[in-house]
Amino acid sequence: MEKENKVKEMEKEEDVKIIAFLCNWCSYAGADAAGTARLRQPENIRIIRVPCSGRINPLFILKAFSSGADGVLVSGCHPNDCHYTDGNFYARRRLEALKEYLPFIGIDKRRFSYQWVSASEGQKWQSVVVNFVKRIKSIGKNEPK
Amino acid sequence: MRIGVFICYCGSNIAANVDVEKVAEEAKKFPGVVFTQTNLYTCSEPGQLQIVKAVKENNLNRVVVASCSPQVHSRTFMRTVESAGLNPYLFNMANLREQDSWIHEDREKATSKAIDLVRMSVSKVYRHTELYPKYFDIKKKVLVIGGGITGIQTALDIADGGRKVILVEKEASIGGKMAQLDKTFPTIDCSACILSPKMVDVGTHENIELLTNSEVVKLEGSVGNFEATIKKKPRYIDISKCTSCRDCEEVCPVTIDNNYEAGTAKRKAISKMFAQAVPSAYNIFKRGKAPCSSSCPADVSTQGYIALIREAKYVEALKLHREDNPFPSICGRVCTHPCETECTRKLVDEPLAIMALKRFIADYELKLGKIPLPHMEEKKPGKVAIVGSGPAGLTAAYYLAKEGYEVNIFEAMPEIGGMLRSEIPDYRLPQEILDKEIDVIKRMGVNIKTNSKIKNTEKLWELREKHDAVFLATGAHRDMDLNIGEKNIEGVLPGVKFLKDISFKKAKKMKGKVGVIGGGNVAIDSARSALRLGAEEVTIFYRRSQKEMPAIEEEYEDAVEEGIKFDFLTSPVRVLEEDGKLKGAVFIRNKLGEPDSSGRRKFIPIEDSEFSCELDWLILAIGQRPDTDYLVTGDNKLKITKWNSIEMENEDILLADSMGIFAGGDMVTGPATVTEAIGHGKIAAKAIDKYIAGQDLEKIAKDMAFEKDSVNKLKTEEVFSKKELDSFKRKARIKIEKIDPQRRRKNFEETVKTITEEEAKREAERCLNCGICSECKQCSTACQADAIDYNQREEMLVKEVGAVAVTVGAEVLDSDVFGEYGGGELEDVITSLQYERLMCASGPTNGHILRPSDKKEPKKIVFLSCVGSRDRSRGNEYCSGICCMYIAKQSILTKEHIPDSKSHVFYTDIRSPGKDYDEFIDRAKKYGTQYIRGRVSKIYRREKDGKLIVNGIDTILNEPVEIEADLVVLATAIVSNKNAGELAKILNINTGPFGFFKESHPKLRPVETNTDGVYIAGTCQSPKDIPASVAQGSAVASKILALMSKDKLASDPMVAKVDKIRCIGCNKCLTVCPFNAIEESEFRGGKVVNVIEAVCKGCGLCEATCPIDAIKLSGFSDEMILEEIKAFPK
Repeated sequence: MEKENKVKEMEKEEDVKIIAFLCNWCSYAGADAAGTARLRQPENIRIIRVPCSGRINPLFILKAFSSGADGVLVSGCHPNDCHYTDGNFYARRRLEALKEYLPFIGIDKRRFSYQWVSASEGQKWQSVVVNFVKRIKSIGKNEPK
Repeated sequence: MRIGVFICYCGSNIAANVDVEKVAEEAKKFPGVVFTQTNLYTCSEPGQLQIVKAVKENNLNRVVVASCSPQVHSRTFMRTVESAGLNPYLFNMANLREQDSWIHEDREKATSKAIDLVRMSVSKVYRHTELYPKYFDIKKKVLVIGGGITGIQTALDIADGGRKVILVEKEASIGGKMAQLDKTFPTIDCSACILSPKMVDVGTHENIELLTNSEVVKLEGSVGNFEATIKKKPRYIDISKCTSCRDCEEVCPVTIDNNYEAGTAKRKAISKMFAQAVPSAYNIFKRGKAPCSSSCPADVSTQGYIALIREAKYVEALKLHREDNPFPSICGRVCTHPCETECTRKLVDEPLAIMALKRFIADYELKLGKIPLPHMEEKKPGKVAIVGSGPAGLTAAYYLAKEGYEVNIFEAMPEIGGMLRSEIPDYRLPQEILDKEIDVIKRMGVNIKTNSKIKNTEKLWELREKHDAVFLATGAHRDMDLNIGEKNIEGVLPGVKFLKDISFKKAKKMKGKVGVIGGGNVAIDSARSALRLGAEEVTIFYRRSQKEMPAIEEEYEDAVEEGIKFDFLTSPVRVLEEDGKLKGAVFIRNKLGEPDSSGRRKFIPIEDSEFSCELDWLILAIGQRPDTDYLVTGDNKLKITKWNSIEMENEDILLADSMGIFAGGDMVTGPATVTEAIGHGKIAAKAIDKYIAGQDLEKIAKDMAFEKDSVNKLKTEEVFSKKELDSFKRKARIKIEKIDPQRRRKNFEETVKTITEEEAKREAERCLNCGICSECKQCSTACQADAIDYNQREEMLVKEVGAVAVTVGAEVLDSDVFGEYGGGELEDVITSLQYERLMCASGPTNGHILRPSDKKEPKKIVFLSCVGSRDRSRGNEYCSGICCMYIAKQSILTKEHIPDSKSHVFYTDIRSPGKDYDEFIDRAKKYGTQYIRGRVSKIYRREKDGKLIVNGIDTILNEPVEIEADLVVLATAIVSNKNAGELAKILNINTGPFGFFKESHPKLRPVETNTDGVYIAGTCQSPKDIPASVAQGSAVASKILALMSKDKLASDPMVAKVDKIRCIGCNKCLTVCPFNAIEESEFRGGKVVNVIEAVCKGCGLCEATCPIDAIKLSGFSDEMILEEIKAFPK
């Protein structure tokens, strides 16, 4: 019985689900570049394409968690490289603030991360995914408490 | 809702890792889905037709295609949906390939992910609404950036297609790298022969506007309506007048590295890029105004006359000097030489002895006889009165007389020259030298009245009535008081008066001990003069330390040599006297404190440190102030400041009173230098000339300020990079000879000697040519077509264009980064581009292959491919693509030039995949070129015989190879343009990992970028050969012509929309919008905002910012994205 539980637990760990919001110009193209280069990644991530990281309403992140995501990842263009000049700066400000609020609604703030990945950084995207999935697995599923 | 879902196999690309049929089955269960279908290739024609059919037959009103990335095919499918009669925005994609099947191996998990992705996509499309584009006009003009072969091709194709083109080129000529090549592979035809006609076409095409020496610095707007800002640097040549006759080049004294010849030859600072250059005109290479010239208060073209001295053009050097300063002989002796302080050479070894150089030319001329008069303009109506005949007054007189005005000088003293005459002792500036330079002014027809003091304002206004303008330059002659009881004591002398008496031969012999108080030049001059008058011991008392002393360094050194004593950090307290006769003085010791506002450290008296000193004479040289009492005596007074200097109305043009009274020199600045006074004299002359000509004073001030401020003044530390400074050879500054100190004490003979011609030439050669062009003006004298225009200034041009082609090319890696191949130190190890120049008939060796070290024909030549390419250790993993081919070409040409030569090629792999390319490699082999597979580890010069040894390894035979080479050619990597990153930001396009511009799709959209309307072609996209570059250039042209063939362009309807009923006019969106696409507006009497649709780019920042949900980004609204999130499986 104990063993069975453990297996179940592990399966659960394996099964973490992550929503990623990627800006259309840099990070979404970077994730495509990773695909074109066949860079293997864990299957846990579902990507939502948005025009710019600055488009992201903090509500999206909260909604993602309440919809059952175990982790939420945001990725945009590198600072100063934003397709819309400075959208990612607004994103950084909002998301940094949001991160600090997550514990107040019972969410471990490690479940949320934002990154900068450019269109040419397929490899970086791969490592971002691998590391983030590893992190979320180590925290486990985001079960309602 | 009737949604249709189409899932693609993509052959086996998706199907291999995703169970497509299962996805289709699951998709049927999603809300709103009424139809699903799988296709082998959805993007193929049958695939698309099936979508159209399904939409029509099943009456679908939404479509989801689950296939590759939307960045690949969303446009394709939007067109398909449109052709089915649906609004193309009622469509969405799920990315099952790049972001699923290609990155996952676990089929089950990948399938499960695919189902999620389709569900999310379906949920979002549920919320999609119909969107309609707006149509707007296109600017039918194209900007092409970069005039290499690619840009030339693009520009010509577009221009031939009937559209206007602006071709912007950074260099002085178009042509790019191809213009530097000798022959081209695989046909071995002459590069210039096929390129030049195209260049000429560009230059003469009625639809092409060519802007050389120009760079794009800003691009705003979007496809169809860009606004480009172009910085056009001055060429200093009027292209329409230049006939390329070479006259200017012959006389130019400045030689610089020739970048067109890849450093294998030199060129003049004025030269044509190359023989076939377009525009076919000369160009002045100029970095800016050299620090020496920039720091000169009289604005003398210092680098210019130094360059002319180097060429032994002494007469020309003096003529140039006198354009800005009529007194080279005086300034060659007494200037405080800020030029030497700022000389860039000080960062290498020591600054140039600029003052000695100036004195040399001046004395050289004096030896020949009378100083020649400058070119005099014809007499003009207009009279100018100048009050004071010091350096400022004399300079103004010189330039005004030269302009043709009648000039009358009024001098209070019995002799002219002002401070030059009265205060600077003969051993520094002999009176006959002064006389000779002043004689010029007399000969120019200037009337001089001595002993004519202007005593009050009545006299001044009387003077003004008789003249059209008055220039006041009465200096600062009044000694400052010390107030330590020195008044009316016999033996106490004010410094200026003391020096004046010596100059006017009224001084008595001196005896005993002399004390001088002060630390400036007057103090040292007084001390040294006292010594020459017979004083036994002279001591200078100065309140600070030597470091803070304002006197010129050389004067201090000379004084020390002559035995003058210095007592630093002492201030006088009171004079000791007996019966009105000086006995000595009491001093107090000081210490230094914090720096004051002038940057000098304050002195603080130390308590109880007083001491007395017996003295026979005490000279007070603690400074002077202007004697301006006459300006405030009488009616209609002028204003003076609390420092007794004259108050100015406009200092830029030295205007004291708008009634035509100008003033300059020490009476404006307080005691300053000779050269500053000369600078003032020149400015005043210029302003007075314009004033008399009737120009408005404000306009004069504006023009003169522009002239001054629009010059690019170079700063000493910023001229050269550290690497460049290190590369200069060290050369010691000349030692300037002086007469023996013992002999000096006896009389007023000049202390410093003139340097010799040989010394002058050697010193002038130390000049680093900081500004590149030295502004010596020889070219403008030589040019008969009057094509040279030094007044050209940098311009900012704003151009409206509809599309942009980027063809800025690439660069070749420098060989000096390869330490193992000599790091650029081995002369006979050169780059392929240099070898190209050595083979070229128009190159530095006229097409004879002669190696750089001894100009002998090399017999054994070794070529190294992949130098820096395919080399992870250098960060360039990519193949430079063209090296294998040009090495083959160069080896064939080498054999043709030198039949008994032998070429060896070290290669990694021979890459020759082009039409007739592999055959070409075979030809090289037939010519006897030996191909060795392997890399070279080291190239060095063998000690015993100086031969170049190439050590490598043959990886086929697996054995080491050692070749004695006469010449080694490195095929260094092609690297991205060093400005590519910056340009990418300006144009809002991307670069890849190696800095090459990124195309929007590597196969299907190879010349487009992710910014609509901006296209890339040629080697700025990746290394490539000429045929490929030209093909891309034409591709861009056809893309742009297609764009321009439309009358209207559809805007992207995915823009923000305001719900005016909800909007509260808080303007938060307006502040975050990066494109100023939101404006204030009114709705039913309340404040709201409005989106300017043509400007909005659809980033959605506004929606994320709006506190009350009143602004929505069409196609990506909160509701749509939240639906997508909610579809995420729980």
